[in-house]
Amino acid sequence: MAEVLRREVVYLITAIITILMFIEFFFIGTWNVAEELRTWATIIANISIALGAVRLLSEHAKNIQRRRAGVWPFSIWLWIIFLVTLLSGLAGYVIKQDAMTNPLYNWLFTWPYTSLGQTLYAITGFYIFSAAYRAFRARNIDAALLLIAGCFVILTNAPIGGVIWSGIPVIGRWFLDYGQVPGMRCFLIVAAFGMLAYGFRALLGRERGFYGEVAGE
Amino acid sequence: MPYPTDPAGIAGLWISWLLMLMIYSYPLYKENPVYRFAEHTYIGLMLAIMLITTTITTTIRMVGPPLMQGKVWYVIPVILGFMMFFLLTPRYRWLSRYPIAILVGAGFGLGMRGVLIPNITKQVISTITPPAVGAGAVDWWNYIYIAIGTICAVMYFVLTWEHRGAMGYATRLGRWIIMIGLGAYFGNTVLFRMAMLSGRAQFFLQVLRIAPM
Amino acid sequence: MSEEELTFWEKLARIDRRVFYWILFIGLMIPFIRPIMFPISISPSTRDLYEGIKEMVEPGDVVVMNIAFGVSAWPECMPAFVSCAKLFIREGAKIIIWGSYYDVDLTYEELLRRAKEDFAKLKYGEDYVYLGYYPNMEASVAQLGSSIRSIFSTDKYGTPLDELPMMKNVDKATDIKLVVSGDTGDCCDYYIRQWRIPYGVPVAEIGIAMLGSSYMPFYKSGVLFGMSVGVRGGAELEKLIGEPGEATIRMGAINISHILVIIAVVLANIGYFASRGKRR
Repeated sequence: MAEVLRREVVYLITAIITILMFIEFFFIGTWNVAEELRTWATIIANISIALGAVRLLSEHAKNIQRRRAGVWPFSIWLWIIFLVTLLSGLAGYVIKQDAMTNPLYNWLFTWPYTSLGQTLYAITGFYIFSAAYRAFRARNIDAALLLIAGCFVILTNAPIGGVIWSGIPVIGRWFLDYGQVPGMRCFLIVAAFGMLAYGFRALLGRERGFYGEVAGE
Repeated sequence: MPYPTDPAGIAGLWISWLLMLMIYSYPLYKENPVYRFAEHTYIGLMLAIMLITTTITTTIRMVGPPLMQGKVWYVIPVILGFMMFFLLTPRYRWLSRYPIAILVGAGFGLGMRGVLIPNITKQVISTITPPAVGAGAVDWWNYIYIAIGTICAVMYFVLTWEHRGAMGYATRLGRWIIMIGLGAYFGNTVLFRMAMLSGRAQFFLQVLRIAPM
Repeated sequence: MSEEELTFWEKLARIDRRVFYWILFIGLMIPFIRPIMFPISISPSTRDLYEGIKEMVEPGDVVVMNIAFGVSAWPECMPAFVSCAKLFIREGAKIIIWGSYYDVDLTYEELLRRAKEDFAKLKYGEDYVYLGYYPNMEASVAQLGSSIRSIFSTDKYGTPLDELPMMKNVDKATDIKLVVSGDTGDCCDYYIRQWRIPYGVPVAEIGIAMLGSSYMPFYKSGVLFGMSVGVRGGAELEKLIGEPGEATIRMGAINISHILVIIAVVLANIGYFASRGKRR
């Protein structure tokens, strides 16, 4: 029985909900069950976001506990900044129903968080520049086509391209509006068929990786 | 954002500037403790902000009012949500499969019904629809390029038959078409990355009052 | 091979990557000190976004602005998003703002700050509302289409939606005139699949530049009525609404950085062919 609860019942729930959502498309606005389930899914997803945070924080707690060389002082700092931000945000929420009303939380959110977020996200700008120099070479026809399309698009996206030669934006615009369409459309179509196939396999209980099943469990 | 005049704002501005330099000490110099400090600061901040916005406040906002109205069954998704944490315990990990089943079922059901029209039907129709009457040679060229290009590119992913003979020519053309698409994608990637980095270069100057804020 | 035996091109290929990084970072600063501006042409997808909004939105229509980008993507997405909000306000639309990125609160505040004069003409609750965060998943977006109140029973500040005048008769996708989604990820896909197709709600995309490639087939097939591509799209929209702003200024840095990338590619390829010829 326990085995049935661990596997078959779970597959059955997935299959029933998948079918329910699929069929509801033809009766939109009339199936309260499907709507209720979507609200449930939203609440579950919302709570489960914390899972990643808990996992990461426990890893840093282990670093501190084991005094992992070169890492643990940073893990302590991470925990401190986490707790300060969390508690200040919670204080704002409890007192005025809005975390942003707490001045410390607001300050941490507005200044360090924004700056660090934008900085870390932008760091790849450096890498793409060196990648352009080290890896973007016309070694064969495939690479040459990629390079030609890439260069025209790069110069079209920058207004200076049209100043260098008026033909650049014309050719680059063609690559953007038509040249890339078959390739990108192919990805859309192929991914859609992939999703349908994967979905049907999940429906039949043949695709189980996302349940976190471990062999022998 | 105007240049702050209050002490907290000025401190925030300069700390943000220093944190930016700490992060860029990694690409511009090398891996160092200062970079790690800034990196861990970001992770700590991000985790707390994420938890407050999502799990704590949004869940209360979503579940609180229905519960107040007597819809007690709204406790069930909350319990199911917390059952996800059993993923962390090997012995009871199987319990987390129930909330996953709901998430996966809803995701696949909605995704499968959703992709049929925009991703397949609309794309096929758009590919085979010829230009309107009176269209010029350029329009016809674009139409033929997209139609043949899409068919060949899709054929590249057909792995049921070996890519030899006529199939080989078609898939080779398909691969070239995909390369053109990826080239344009790369061009757009450069725009994105450079826009982000230029934002930081601008901020660097703004704090020093070299560029207007 | 000793250092003296290396050709010029081989030496160039061995230059420390950090030299390039410094050149790039310093190069990006120049246009903010001495602006380098060139005329910006309008792409068809941005023009369709602008004209689509102007044609479709009547005064009093309710539109949704979905924030699916974080503070980290402000330099790329924010200019177009702000221009779009200004355009909606000019057309007399009532705006619902919500988002699926956990730092959405800050992005909302930044939007109000950047379009301060425009939002000052409006009254919260009557002309625009902010509903806050919802999880970025297809089920949430589908449910928002079925019933906004099942996801947001109150606005961000705890006011029940029924007490907000502009939300009184608004609960479903069919009550919404159009959606503009600002994205760094795939949230617009959800609106296409769960709002555009079942309910016929027009959807437009304001995305990071890579999404310009990913969503081009949707735009070409008429699924999206318009699309703004990255900061370039932002500059185009600023030009169209007649208010040059942040994106227009940033195009100077885009000029410099793109030229540097092209120089790097050209040098790399000359070096590659030169050294290949030598090996033969």
